[in-house]
Amino acid sequence: MITLTHFLVVSACLFCIGLYAVLAKRNAIMILVGIEFIINAAILNLVAFGRYDKINYGGQVFALFAIVLAAAAVAVGLAIILNVYRKYKSINPDNITDLRD
Amino acid sequence: MMNLSPIVASLLVVILPFLAFLIQAMLGRRSQQGTISLLAILLSCLISATMVFPKIWNQDTQHQALTWFSIGTKDFQIGFLLNNLTSLMQLIVCLVALPVHIYSRAYMKGDPGIHRYWMYLSLFCFAMLLLTMADNLLLMYIAWELVGFASYLLIGFWFHKESAVQANKKAFIINRIGDLGFLLGIASLYSIYGTLNLVDLFGEHGFLNTVPPDSSGWMTFAGCCFFLGAMAKSAQFPLHVWLPDAMEGPTSVSSLIHAATMVAAGVFLLSTVFPLFNTTVLLIIAIIGCITAFIAAYFALAQQDIKRILAFSTISQLGFMMVAIGIGAWDAAMFHLVTHAFFKCLLFLAAGAIIHEMAHLKAKHQLDFDPQDIHNMGGLRKYMPKTFILMAIASLALAGFPLTSGFLSKDAILINALEWGMQQGGLWLLIPIALIIVSFMTAFYIGRLMFKVFFGKLRINVENPGIHEAPGQMLGPMVFLGICSLFVVFSLNPLSYQQAFVLKGFEFDRDYTELHILHTVVPLLMSIGSILIWIWAYRWYAQGEAGGSFDKLRMTESKLRMTFPLLQLSLNQGYLNEFYQKAFVNSTVQFSNGLYWFDRHIIDGLVNLAGSLVRAISRISAWTDRYIVDGLVNTIAGSTYYLGHLLRWVQNGRLQNYLGFAFTVLLIGIIYLIFK
Repeated sequence: MITLTHFLVVSACLFCIGLYAVLAKRNAIMILVGIEFIINAAILNLVAFGRYDKINYGGQVFALFAIVLAAAAVAVGLAIILNVYRKYKSINPDNITDLRD
Repeated sequence: MMNLSPIVASLLVVILPFLAFLIQAMLGRRSQQGTISLLAILLSCLISATMVFPKIWNQDTQHQALTWFSIGTKDFQIGFLLNNLTSLMQLIVCLVALPVHIYSRAYMKGDPGIHRYWMYLSLFCFAMLLLTMADNLLLMYIAWELVGFASYLLIGFWFHKESAVQANKKAFIINRIGDLGFLLGIASLYSIYGTLNLVDLFGEHGFLNTVPPDSSGWMTFAGCCFFLGAMAKSAQFPLHVWLPDAMEGPTSVSSLIHAATMVAAGVFLLSTVFPLFNTTVLLIIAIIGCITAFIAAYFALAQQDIKRILAFSTISQLGFMMVAIGIGAWDAAMFHLVTHAFFKCLLFLAAGAIIHEMAHLKAKHQLDFDPQDIHNMGGLRKYMPKTFILMAIASLALAGFPLTSGFLSKDAILINALEWGMQQGGLWLLIPIALIIVSFMTAFYIGRLMFKVFFGKLRINVENPGIHEAPGQMLGPMVFLGICSLFVVFSLNPLSYQQAFVLKGFEFDRDYTELHILHTVVPLLMSIGSILIWIWAYRWYAQGEAGGSFDKLRMTESKLRMTFPLLQLSLNQGYLNEFYQKAFVNSTVQFSNGLYWFDRHIIDGLVNLAGSLVRAISRISAWTDRYIVDGLVNTIAGSTYYLGHLLRWVQNGRLQNYLGFAFTVLLIGIIYLIFK
């Protein structure tokens, strides 16, 4: 039987993959993908915990909201990446170090 | 001509040569004729002869002074004092300087440094004239030093000759010794009386008359100091050595130095401060003068250089003057100074003319001989008859022959000395006797000079020697001086010195009684003695085998010197120069070397030691600074830098890293929360 723990483990795995992608990828698109993984891990948790909610489908609704928001956020992120590419001719985050001292 | 007061006139007399000096100094090479200097001394001479001397001589003393400077409450004055002594001296200086100037125009013609010559000559005249008229000892001292300096310049006029440089150095150094004496005398006189003004000191109501000095020791000291000053300037034994060497200067300069200026300054000074001397000092002066007269006459006997013979005769005559001062007859000293000025100047000018001709002969025939050596001359009477006559007059005057001026003045000294010696009795009679012997020696050496130079035949063997009379510009001054060497200028009676106007001007009471018999015996004895000596000398030098060729003469003289070592001693001036060289110069040099060594090794060593010590200390402190202080600072700075560097690495601008850190920290926090 599939318990909450299984969902959480999957969710944790997703989160870890996402974190890895965010920290280690040399491509801004892949980092964005990593961020999506993390969001999806959170959404999966929302859905999984929604089962124990007193109000029905509260978790699912939140998940839908989050998906929509993530989609919007991806659009913004892609726009930023596009602008970054225009300025630096590169989307490798290692090359974009304007924040350093 | 304007009628000036004697004081203003004498101011002009002094200033004119000084102006000539300045103008000549400014014109430099553009003025070679010496017209300016000649004009200045001519005007000085005229003014002195017409406006100063006739108005002062045997009339009131004139004195005018301005306040010069004040030290504390003491006022020092500057001014002129005109009395018989100073006006006479002034006139003599002018009268002797004028012929020398005229003579120099011909004698020094064509010398490359002639513009300097005129400059120095004017300076010399200015200094000497200032000396004669100074009314206080300080001004006199300044003039005294100026005379010394000008003579230094003139003696070393041909400074490209090593011997001239040595000679002027010698003259200067020896004169410094005398200057020191003069200065000490001034200082001690000032400490006793508090003034240096001659009128205050020696005037009619002077301190010396009113205040009897209670400190006779001081007075003796002061007197000896003044005498030391006069000894150096007037070339008294043992400080006479500079004068023969001073012959390195041009002959016209020698004549000026020997006649009226330089060497006369010492005698003049002693006459000026005469009342100062007590019996002790006077005796010292007399003894030194006597020794000088004798030694110099002795040295003159065997000299071979015509100018050196004359130089030693000057020293000898100065010795006479000193004796006269020492026995109290300073009037006789001044008289002899005056007559000596003329005939000695003439002797030198004539010697200059002879040397001039000999040098021409040497240059014309390209021979190699010393134009000043009397052995090379001989028979010049035929070639230069006028010079011969003039020099003969001067020589007769030097020997004290009747009808000349020298006869009067020399007899004055001799008779005074004899009278004084009779009064003192005993050993003191040696001084007049020595003087008489010296007089005979004088007759001999000047006779030797005359016979060797003018008689016999020319010892340089050349056909047609081409020696001729000196030009008019040289002969004219000599004629003037020749006239001044005769008795008429000084006294109408040729046989009695007491009629001489110079002596009458200085009349004062003597300490010793007059002995009339001496006034006839001494002149007679001297004249006969001189004539005998001349006959002997003539036979020896002009007629005998020595009158022949140069080689024979030289051989005879050297044979003579071998047999008589005393003559060898005389030729070498008693080895005094060598003695001074050994005793003073070498010891000074050695002492200086010692001091140099001390300076080099001890003083420098100490300084170097201190230096290296400081260097060592600084090296240590540099090491401390570099490795301890700097090290500490560098360690702190370095570690801070390293720490900063470590943290700086975090701020690398990579977003992923930032995120990674953030998650790591979060993870650590979570782990910490889990295991708490």
